[in-house]
Amino acid sequence: MGDEQADRLLPIANVGRIMKQILPPSAKVSKEAKQRMQECASEFISFVTCEASDRCHKENRKTVNGDDIYWALCSLGLDHHAEATGKYLHKYREFERERALQNKASTFTDEGNSETLNSEELRPTNKPSSLEITIMDRR
Amino acid sequence: MRQPGAYSGLLSGGISGKTGPHLLPLARIKKIMKKSNDDVKMISGEAPIVFSKACELFIEELTKRSWNMTMQAKRRTLHKEDVASAVVATDIFDFLVPIVSGDSDEAADGSEKKEEI
Repeated sequence: MGDEQADRLLPIANVGRIMKQILPPSAKVSKEAKQRMQECASEFISFVTCEASDRCHKENRKTVNGDDIYWALCSLGLDHHAEATGKYLHKYREFERERALQNKASTFTDEGNSETLNSEELRPTNKPSSLEITIMDRR
Repeated sequence: MRQPGAYSGLLSGGISGKTGPHLLPLARIKKIMKKSNDDVKMISGEAPIVFSKACELFIEELTKRSWNMTMQAKRRTLHKEDVASAVVATDIFDFLVPIVSGDSDEAADGSEKKEEI
């Protein structure tokens, strides 16, 4: 298996670890089964990405984002994956917003009088974080 | 250094030094996304992160279903044929049938041979 082949698959150690954490402790997994799971996971990513990319294309957008992936999971019938993924995306965006706020606040404190930041600049920009499929504002 | 913070509660796995709080490498996920389709030019920063969670859930589900097949066959080792059987038995995994079709045939051949004996 060349480097190109390896690049299109998720690492077998990571895949094996995820498999083991859901199985009983005494369960064993053959190497071929892990390899097959690697290929299935890659195909899953490709399949969902294609669907997400098609949606972007139809809406004349260039960047595939988390909402597109959520939408693609729903449209492909992977509803329960979509729900958990949507919650994760929501939490991640909250986390990133809080982190950005903390970074800005600490910069302001460190630099003292070098910059004057008003309260408006400290608020995060409004990004659509709704998990509803239909919401993507066009600008 | 990454801090797991607000969203780590949703993670079922541990923290790896290489992948941060995610179980799967984000750069590799991004490569696979780009190779999936020529139209995929730009990917937002959050997309591979969302996929790391989605993939984890996907692998868990397919593993659980495969293990059911293993147990039906009264074995304790999960084989690729069990993965194939799980894919064939699950409608939403139809897109994976070409990936596992060789394994299904092997499993079918095995059972046919047993019947002949």
